[in-house]
Amino acid sequence: MHIMEGFLPHPWWEVWFALSLPAVAYGVKVAGNLAKDRRDVLPLLAVAGAFIFVLSSLKLPSVTGSSSHPTGTGLGAIFFGPAVTAVVSTVVLIYQALFLAHGGITTLGANVFSMGIAGPALGYAAYKGATKLRLNLYAAVFLSAFTSDLATYLITALQLAMAFPAATGVWTSFRAFAAVFAITQIPMAAMEGVVTAFIFRYLLRARSDVLVRLKVISGSYAKPVEVWH
Amino acid sequence: MHGLLDNYAQGNALRRTDPRLKLFVGLVSVITCALSTSIAAPMIVMGATGFATVYLAKIPSKFYLKLLAVPLAFAASSSAVVALVHGTGPMIFQFFFGLGIRTDGMDLAALLMARTLGGMSAMFFIALTTPITEIISLAQSLGLPEVVVDLSMLIYRYIFVLMDQALTIHDAQVTRLGYSGFKPSLRSFSMLSSVLFLRALDQGERLIIAMDSRCYNGKLEAPGAMTRSGQGVAALSLIYAAVVMVIAFLTRDLHLL
Repeated sequence: MHIMEGFLPHPWWEVWFALSLPAVAYGVKVAGNLAKDRRDVLPLLAVAGAFIFVLSSLKLPSVTGSSSHPTGTGLGAIFFGPAVTAVVSTVVLIYQALFLAHGGITTLGANVFSMGIAGPALGYAAYKGATKLRLNLYAAVFLSAFTSDLATYLITALQLAMAFPAATGVWTSFRAFAAVFAITQIPMAAMEGVVTAFIFRYLLRARSDVLVRLKVISGSYAKPVEVWH
Repeated sequence: MHGLLDNYAQGNALRRTDPRLKLFVGLVSVITCALSTSIAAPMIVMGATGFATVYLAKIPSKFYLKLLAVPLAFAASSSAVVALVHGTGPMIFQFFFGLGIRTDGMDLAALLMARTLGGMSAMFFIALTTPITEIISLAQSLGLPEVVVDLSMLIYRYIFVLMDQALTIHDAQVTRLGYSGFKPSLRSFSMLSSVLFLRALDQGERLIIAMDSRCYNGKLEAPGAMTRSGQGVAALSLIYAAVVMVIAFLTRDLHLL
């Protein structure tokens, strides 16, 4: 769910840029160290980014204009951690603006903050919390994707409400924006949770070695690694 | 083929113009729109960038208008929400339940609509005339970190690979009634995403081997032979930038109602 170009007034779009920049810069540092450490990380991140882009280009229109679609960032956060996901999401958001006319340039900061930083970070926290509570793996994955979608949507509503407060305050307009988005976003978040859990099940069955290598699960779950180069 | 704007960026009449100038014009327009407090400057930006896109870059006008309808629908519906909830001024239109449109709410809605349309047409100007590869190599020369440059180039490449596969799988699923109801849709979509993810990983692993066998040392070279444009074009861009900024400044207190 992205805010379109030109919709956020001065000074809000600058504020969101300023808030997003340090997080993305930190992510760039982490990704740079990772890539130096293990040379196979970069191509993996690239295909993950392309995957997020393609998944999100399958979009549904929604009433208030920003449109809803799967974000794929919950999955990214589980695999690569929230810092690296922030970088990948930023690149994906730029491509969405320039390839799909979806999102914007001045609103990039706000969109990066909601979809690239807050969503994955909270989704990752949900995943970690769920695994710590020894929840079923699929339930943890569902919660992670659901939370990151929901957080993205609520923060977008908050961003719009702060930029356009109602006469009675930010809270009123937040509830108005959140209510309008909820119609599409809450079913969407649940859908993405289910789909992500399905992806996980499929991955666990077909290529559990990949999940071990990404350190998502420990080796004891996995089938023997095939030699396949 | 994929419905991506990139197809036009690769083959339009402004393809050989200096990307720095195109980006300059586009970004000045976008920022002017975002900063302006009256509808005058966004309207001029919309006209100017629209003219440049359709007449100078020769993008088919039918396609361009269709593209512009996307933000139009968005801007209209969101502005309506803002018009209803915003404002403290006198009512100009009263609905039931005390809902109504006030003068300042209406003003803001019109401004938002103009800004979104102006900003979007400026963004379309960049998207339809300047290929991503040129934007990336420009950003590289401005000091974008190596990791981000490489990541962007690789993502760019793999978007097309995966898009093709996703469309093929989707078509195959549709012909087998994979999206004939809610449950089959959920199943089909999950299957599509997971197969796509595995194929993406597969591609990634093959890419490492391919890059290793071509002596990849952690750095990709972006081919960046940048074209330069004449001084006339540069002067014209500067004049345009100055004019829209001055107009935005002069009309800063202009209100419709």
